[in-house]
Amino acid sequence: MFRMGAVTDDDKLDKEATRQVLRRAIGMAKPFRRTIFAALCFVLMSTLGLLLGPVIVRYGIDSGIDMKDTTTLRNAVIAYIVVVALAYLAARQQYIFINRAGEGFLRALRVRTFDHIQRQSLGFFDRYQSGVLISRMTADIESMAELVQWGLLQFVAAVFLIGLSLILMLSLSWQLTIAALLVMPVIIIASRKFQRDSNAAYLEVRERVGQNLSELQEGIAGVRVVQAYAQEKEQTRQFVASNRSLYQSHVHSIRVSTWYFGLVEALGIFSTGLAIGIGGWLVGRGDVTVGTVVAFVLLLAQLFEPVQQLSQLYNTVQSSAASLDKLFTILDTEPDIQGGSEELPERADLIVDGVGFTYPSTDTPVLRDVTISVADGERLALVGPTGAGKSTVAKLMARLYDPTEGTISFGGIDLRDATLGSLRERVVVVPQEGFLFGGSIADNVRIARADATDDELREALDAIGALDRFDAFEDGIDTEVRERGSRLSAGERQLVSLARAALVDPAVLVLDEATSSLDPGTEVIVEQALDRLMIGRTTIVVAHRLSTIQHADRIAVIDAGLLAELGTHDELVEIGGRYAALASAWAQSLPS
Amino acid sequence: MPAFDADHTTVSTWPLLWETLRAQRRNLLIGTMIGLAWSVGKVASPVLIRFGIDRGIRDDEMLWLWAGLIAFAGLFAGFFTAFRRFYAFREARWTETRLRERLFGHIMSLHIGYHDRAQTGQLMSRSSSDLNQIQMFVVMIPITLSNLAMISAVTVILLITDWQLALLAFASLPLIQVLGSRFSRAIHPAVLAVQAEQAELATVVEESVGGVRVIKGFGAERVQAEKLRTEADDIRRESIKAARIRAKYLPAMELLPQVGLIAVLWFGGNQVINGDLSLGALVQFNVYVALLVWPLRMIGMTIAFAQRAAAALGRVNEVLDIASQVRNPDHPVDLPTTGGAEPAAGFGDIAFRGVTFTYPTMASETETGGPVLDGFDLDMGAGQSVAVVGATGSGKSTVVRLLVRFYDVDAGSISIDGVDIRELSLHDLRRAVGIVFEDTLLFHDTVRANIAFADPAAGAERVEQAARLAGAHDFIMGLPDAYDTMLGERGFSLSGGQRQRIAIARAILADPRILVLDDATSAVDPSKEHEIRDAMATVMAGRTTIVIAHRPGTVALADTVVLLDHGRVIAWGRHDELLATEPRYRDVLAAMEQSDDEERRDLSDDVEATIGGD
Repeated sequence: MFRMGAVTDDDKLDKEATRQVLRRAIGMAKPFRRTIFAALCFVLMSTLGLLLGPVIVRYGIDSGIDMKDTTTLRNAVIAYIVVVALAYLAARQQYIFINRAGEGFLRALRVRTFDHIQRQSLGFFDRYQSGVLISRMTADIESMAELVQWGLLQFVAAVFLIGLSLILMLSLSWQLTIAALLVMPVIIIASRKFQRDSNAAYLEVRERVGQNLSELQEGIAGVRVVQAYAQEKEQTRQFVASNRSLYQSHVHSIRVSTWYFGLVEALGIFSTGLAIGIGGWLVGRGDVTVGTVVAFVLLLAQLFEPVQQLSQLYNTVQSSAASLDKLFTILDTEPDIQGGSEELPERADLIVDGVGFTYPSTDTPVLRDVTISVADGERLALVGPTGAGKSTVAKLMARLYDPTEGTISFGGIDLRDATLGSLRERVVVVPQEGFLFGGSIADNVRIARADATDDELREALDAIGALDRFDAFEDGIDTEVRERGSRLSAGERQLVSLARAALVDPAVLVLDEATSSLDPGTEVIVEQALDRLMIGRTTIVVAHRLSTIQHADRIAVIDAGLLAELGTHDELVEIGGRYAALASAWAQSLPS
Repeated sequence: MPAFDADHTTVSTWPLLWETLRAQRRNLLIGTMIGLAWSVGKVASPVLIRFGIDRGIRDDEMLWLWAGLIAFAGLFAGFFTAFRRFYAFREARWTETRLRERLFGHIMSLHIGYHDRAQTGQLMSRSSSDLNQIQMFVVMIPITLSNLAMISAVTVILLITDWQLALLAFASLPLIQVLGSRFSRAIHPAVLAVQAEQAELATVVEESVGGVRVIKGFGAERVQAEKLRTEADDIRRESIKAARIRAKYLPAMELLPQVGLIAVLWFGGNQVINGDLSLGALVQFNVYVALLVWPLRMIGMTIAFAQRAAAALGRVNEVLDIASQVRNPDHPVDLPTTGGAEPAAGFGDIAFRGVTFTYPTMASETETGGPVLDGFDLDMGAGQSVAVVGATGSGKSTVVRLLVRFYDVDAGSISIDGVDIRELSLHDLRRAVGIVFEDTLLFHDTVRANIAFADPAAGAERVEQAARLAGAHDFIMGLPDAYDTMLGERGFSLSGGQRQRIAIARAILADPRILVLDDATSAVDPSKEHEIRDAMATVMAGRTTIVIAHRPGTVALADTVVLLDHGRVIAWGRHDELLATEPRYRDVLAAMEQSDDEERRDLSDDVEATIGGD
């Protein structure tokens, strides 16, 4: 799947929000504080190494060269070598430690976010598009990797370098420090302006990139329509327009950084001129040595790069904060379906009592005051027109959602009071299509009960009459199903799905009638498997076919969110209501 | 604006870049010249620093002049570094922009057979990440050229000042470059490994979100959580591996110049003590060595970028190199017209003669292999309507795809109003045939633009008239912004039936002499089906129409029915005649009934998902 870079409003965090998000992130990084501390120590060491160089050069010049003392010069050189070697070792360690902490943090974030998403109810998955959830777990977390790998290190190192340079310069000569830093106010003002402008430009570019990608995708996806109406030129013209506006935003962002980089470079050399001018004057007065001036010149060469880095980092920090903020929004969503403490009995009646349901963030109820009691072992068919709410009834019976009014109980225990574990053991939903995960056939059946033994798996497959079919595969039930189960036919996927239910051996089976688009051969096998599975269980079928309905003990007709009719086939035909009309329409449409 | 030519081919990798850059050579040259000016400023400042120290400070001569000159050199270098950057980045973006437009135009013009096999994601990454890699290389061109100039100038100056010391100072610098290119080679696979692990994690997340009903139904959260932990651990492991590579090379590259500085301090210091070298010259050496670090490192980067850009260019070129297999004739013939106000009135004959066609083998279609159409014949007079009926895989949709030359026939011919369609320009052919596709694609644009797709210049009146004929006007007026409502993936979402009616309006506005309705009533709420049928009947009146029917209700719209089996016409006549005389026709209709039910069931799910989603 291609990831869209489109910017939404929550990509633009204000300063206060950014600060809050970062504070929370620091809180989350607590488990790694030792690694972070070690990393900071190494950063400090390697920065010190970088700064000691000019100091040693100064010592070499003033005490060695100027005094014509070769021994001192040699000592200075040896000291320099030692410092560089130590700095190298420290620098290696700083990378490793910072990354260890950062990757540990990202791993924890991945696991935590995923676990939290998994705890959510189906209602949550309805609210969030799957693409959004996937990009939270991938693109949003990955966008922080840059910060973790480079950003943090650069940030800390830059701050240390600037701070230590200042201390060092002050200790060498306060007069020269002032002289050299005369340009600082300009740099600071310019950096702040650059930060603001470049951030705006960066967001603009991201938004245009997103739009451009959408146009591109739309063009490719719609190429048949485009060609059928001979609109290639027009489509390209529109694409060019979007592409040019992307180009313009790139140019704008280049312009924003252009003057800033030029200015920083100019001021860097400019301040060297100042240091030499004023330094020379101070040397003449005898206030400082030549070595000090040289050390200043060398220090200044190192000082301006970190300033530049800091202002560029702001974009990275800000976009990471935006990503984190989106993740926190998910982490702050409390799951609305949580387990109770009671164990459900092995077998019992399932009672739907005065149930109403309204999807979150809508006003119109999908179901109103539905009451059905399903006896243990009964087979109930739910029938009704499109969108009448029959699937919703089925989902409520398995507590995939909670009713907004009324209760659903099993053996007198409200489903909301039951432990999720015992609920999933008693009530199993078989979805319309057999959804397969990566892994083998056995792995896929085991999804239903992680602790099942191989024998139990085989029993479950055998119970629905599918074992022979899969044993005939080269690797038997250990055959890899490949992506989305493409190795298996639709019917075989359905069999896996049914085997899962058989493995759990539930009291209640909820079926969303599952025979769509199967080839005639497997269709029979799937139907037989289904029949075997239903034996001795309470079954609720969301039915679309007359044959299924005819096999049911009772039929519930749901219309416009209400239970319109409830009874056996004969009873309902007798009444001559909606079901009777439906049944006769069905009968007529069948080919004679 | 660049020209888009479907037949543009045979550009191999580097000539493609060369050709692209040639158009920008003026600005690239300016960028390089500016870079040269910058390097003058950069090179001058250490010399000035040396004079500042030797003459200004030590000899106390004209100190302020030297200081002033250094400051000036700074402003000079700063000014030009800014412009170099501006030109380099802007030109690189321009290269990217133009290549993307060329690629898009080319993709739009490629035959549908290509698109059947191509993956959208692949084409997307050609036009985004691959072009970005090329862009990153183009940025480096003016920068590297002026860096090279600077490196040579510095080398010459240092050699003149003191060649022994110069060699000493430079000894470590080539190492930086070596390390740089080694680093690129080592880090690239490591980064790819991280990306591969990220993709595996994405797969786990995707299946967990997609299969959430299964997971919730069986309480299998823990199984997926375990999988995710494994993948998260893998990402961490690979990332730390990459970090170790960075740890190995980056600090070394950063500190190597210091080795040169140490050597300069030791030997140069001794020379100063002996009076062979001035202190200023020593500092100058130091500053120069520091100055060369970045340009040298960048040359390493440029090489790595060039390698990546070459690979990206190769991939882009692969797409550009494909010539459309459906080509415009060299000397297109015009379709006959009346020459009056309604030029196409009374026209619209179609003749399929012995048409045979086999799809090029595709990974996704396993059952094919033989010809889809095998000696297919069909004659239609102007204004006639025909329903093409057949089981799945009988070839009925292929008939339409051949008619608009999405593919070319393998044998036989198709002609419209007596002209072989291969002699018509693609534009004329496709404007003569209007298709309402099975799956209605709406663009992210207004309702108006979606209807006026065939003729963007169409006025509001024509759009509204088309919408009225298609029975779409009333619901459009009920949309938040009526005809200005945005549609498409990120816009207002319409029901299946509403989408179909927009598609029909789109075909009406195109005013083709031949209309094709490819099962235009699937995925429509049954209660709305008759409305669509009414709309279709209105449009079909007096126009040659082919209906590809998948359900009985649509079949009844046409004058005659053609029953297709294994790529051949096996029966032909009126609906009721066939129903009475042809058992195979009854079988096909019965099968339609069945799948019809299933589609409706799928639909009922859609409706609930929509309700739940909002």
